Amino acid sequence: MVAFTRKNKMAEVILRDYQLLPIISRFGIQLGFGNKNIEEVCIDRNVDLAFFLEILNSYHNADYYPENHLSGFKADVMISYLTNTHSYYLNSKVPHIELFIDKMQKEAKKENSRNIGLLKQFFNEYKIDIEHHFKDEEKNVFPYILDLEEALKTNNYSTELIEKIKKEPIEVYERNHESLEVKLADMKNLIIRFLPPLSCEDDCERLLTELFQLECDIEDHTRMEEKVLIPKVKMLERKVLEYYGI
Amino acid sequence: MEFEHKKMQTVIASEQYLVRLGVKTLLNVIGVESDLHEADSFEELERLINDVPDLNYLILSDELLPKKKQDCLKDIKGSCSLCKTIIIGQQKIPGCVFEHFILHSYDRKQVVEELQNFFQEPELTQEKNDSCTLSDREIDVLKTVALGCSNKEIADQLFISINTVITHRKNITGKLGIKTISGLTVYALMNHIIKAEEVR
Repeated sequence: MVAFTRKNKMAEVILRDYQLLPIISRFGIQLGFGNKNIEEVCIDRNVDLAFFLEILNSYHNADYYPENHLSGFKADVMISYLTNTHSYYLNSKVPHIELFIDKMQKEAKKENSRNIGLLKQFFNEYKIDIEHHFKDEEKNVFPYILDLEEALKTNNYSTELIEKIKKEPIEVYERNHESLEVKLADMKNLIIRFLPPLSCEDDCERLLTELFQLECDIEDHTRMEEKVLIPKVKMLERKVLEYYGI
Repeated sequence: MEFEHKKMQTVIASEQYLVRLGVKTLLNVIGVESDLHEADSFEELERLINDVPDLNYLILSDELLPKKKQDCLKDIKGSCSLCKTIIIGQQKIPGCVFEHFILHSYDRKQVVEELQNFFQEPELTQEKNDSCTLSDREIDVLKTVALGCSNKEIADQLFISINTVITHRKNITGKLGIKTISGLTVYALMNHIIKAEEVR
């Protein structure tokens, strides 16, 4: 698979792979790009071009290995992207899925409506799980990473930061980083294998499509955190410690 | 897509290097395309059974087994129920849970035929995976899992060992395709295996 480059027309990229639509909107890029190429669009929207290209390519092709290139970015660009992605899941994807479940529940016959009620409850638990997960990252992990980068930039020493690197390095987060896809896979299985047939097949089909997409997206998201962000943070931690000769 | 690319997984277990090499050569001759794993001790075999996901075939030389051969074989069958096994040995083991044998007295033709039969029969995986009906005992275990019991609690309640509980849980997940406890709870509620009031 050929990777996209800065000279590719933005419209052609989306026509080639429509799954990239949600990605570009996370960067605040809107449709109607006319004949502009990726570079021009990025300049218009004030988006870090190199980072955008890497993200596009790694979503487009799962075998694309961005590690080397990505280590060239600043962590704050990546963190703002990851935070946007979190809100995309919670404010766009999750409500969508809930909407379809509600619709299905209304249209189903009594016994099956109970089953869908169970799925709804299950998905609600999942929602709480991911909210919790994202909140933890945004409150505890991301600020720590920004502090590291800032400390290196300004050579500004803070005892707290050094303590944190020693006591609670990113490795702790890495070890506890849970997989968010397992429950989604269960949800799909419950619907595909065990939910008695419904009369509203259209809604059910859309719900499944949403679930499949969310699962893929979260997989990529996790890959990004584990393969790119964490190694980068480890490097920052090492640099800070080295700088202060610890 | 994932399914098409998935390769067969075969373990060749024997203490003797020459036996393992011979088996590999013959598999090549009859054109078996599989990922091969080798074990030269019983411990290594146990490790592979645990570590190799979706093991399809096991070719096992019986000198590798510790004393109580029948019991060991039963355990192997228990822990990888979807895997087909063929035994290489001096003679057939009486009361053995596996039906395929290659005896030391066999000549080349017999060995090749036996291996071909072994690999050509329809895979066990197919029929087992097709039925997602749980056995009565599995339903008992599912019930307790769905109610939020720990493995220890389940073992005590059903008078079975923790290892047996783990095996049952593995099989339940394999049959239903549901991995999380809350997912299993939804399944149990949907199928009236437990009642909503019972859930902790």
